[in-house]
Amino acid sequence: MELIQAILALYRERGGWFLGLLWDHFLLSGQAILLSGSIGLLLGIFIAQRPRLAPAVMGVCNVLYTIPAISLLGILIPFTGIGNKTAVIALTIYGVMPMVRNTYVGLTTLDPDILEAAAGMGSTAMQTLLRVKLPMAAGVILAGVRNMVVMTVSVAGIASFVGAGGLGVSIYRGITIYDPAMTAAGSILIASLAVLLDFLLGRVEKHFKKYGS
Amino acid sequence: MAEPVIQFDRVCKSFDGHPVLRDFSLSVERGEFLTVIGRSGCGKTTALRLVNGLISADTGWVLVKGQDVAQADPVALRRGIGYTIQNVGLFPHMTVEKNIAYVPSLSKSPLWKGEERSRRAAELLQTVGLEPDLAGRYPRELSGGQRQRVGIARALAAQPDILLMDEPFGAVDEITRRQLQDEILRLHQERGITILFVTHDIEEALKLGTRVLVMEEGRATQFGPPSALLSSPATPFAAQLVRRSRDFAPRQ
Repeated sequence: MELIQAILALYRERGGWFLGLLWDHFLLSGQAILLSGSIGLLLGIFIAQRPRLAPAVMGVCNVLYTIPAISLLGILIPFTGIGNKTAVIALTIYGVMPMVRNTYVGLTTLDPDILEAAAGMGSTAMQTLLRVKLPMAAGVILAGVRNMVVMTVSVAGIASFVGAGGLGVSIYRGITIYDPAMTAAGSILIASLAVLLDFLLGRVEKHFKKYGS
Repeated sequence: MAEPVIQFDRVCKSFDGHPVLRDFSLSVERGEFLTVIGRSGCGKTTALRLVNGLISADTGWVLVKGQDVAQADPVALRRGIGYTIQNVGLFPHMTVEKNIAYVPSLSKSPLWKGEERSRRAAELLQTVGLEPDLAGRYPRELSGGQRQRVGIARALAAQPDILLMDEPFGAVDEITRRQLQDEILRLHQERGITILFVTHDIEEALKLGTRVLVMEEGRATQFGPPSALLSSPATPFAAQLVRRSRDFAPRQ
């Protein structure tokens, strides 16, 4: 009970500071989400068209995905220094994996009869991709986006260990000055942001699943 | 004599070393309704897919309107040939209207813009015996027979003079199939298009075809009007086919 009261007190007294951190957190994860979203989508489309490359690309993504977040941040410091840049790069590397996997799976498990019809009616490869394959795979791809967004928002919480901004700042400060309420206050906001984004993307995904495959 | 619309000249085709078409030759005249019948794996679907270049011949030539399919631009070739398959392959994320307008939209046809598109789609729906107000529905909201009809409407949209149909009525019930057969007969008479129709149902082959082609193990074994197939089957398989079409064998 004490902890909850302490958290509420923090929100009351330092509301502006937390809002600033929340906004920074949103921007930081937003950049990584846009980057891994587009890189992952393009890479997924690429290996779906060239299935022979798929195991190698997926393998590399899997390996990168299994590196613990904190160690990936540490490995990057000598190359990219400290600050937001390093955090965005690490988060992007993380987010690519679910995007590649879902894009690849979505594009390679489509009904062959529909693809046969699309080809037989004289679609170019690009027309088939843009007008048939991607819209039909949209549900599965969006599930990957959702997965990636939630993960990025939460992993961004440790980005302050390399000097990046966002709600990780309050978590880290809470740990160093032994103030559990400060840590919890930051975590709650991260979780709320993740849940909200997950809910919104869930709505979009549902719409596409309805008319997808 | 007019040039044949579709011509196979000594075509061979194997898949993984297994021959599917052997020395296959065939000439299809303009306006003909050719039904192709044979067992599963006799090469009838392969022959059909050679016409629109979905697969290419190992040796020999396939000519469409005098042009070698191997040399043709496959995209341009296919847009001029209607194509329907057994499972229809309607796009689930598009309405009936968008499905029908798909081929014209690929080539950005000015005839299919805005209100024109709705008008033309409605017209085609009526042509295949459907209510025009189905235009806004999605394929999953249609019955099997309705989907087949939309598939035919889609194949007709770009006004092709050749229609390739691969067991198009294989997955619908008997009564719907008869209705669809009557529709396609009517369409063939009205439009004078050349139709290549693959089936494994001898009754369907005899009812629809101006000529019937019997295929066995990658070879054309009999080719002629349905009456000739009925009166003088050339091979034991052909004889077996037409005998089955005459008498029913009810279970005792």
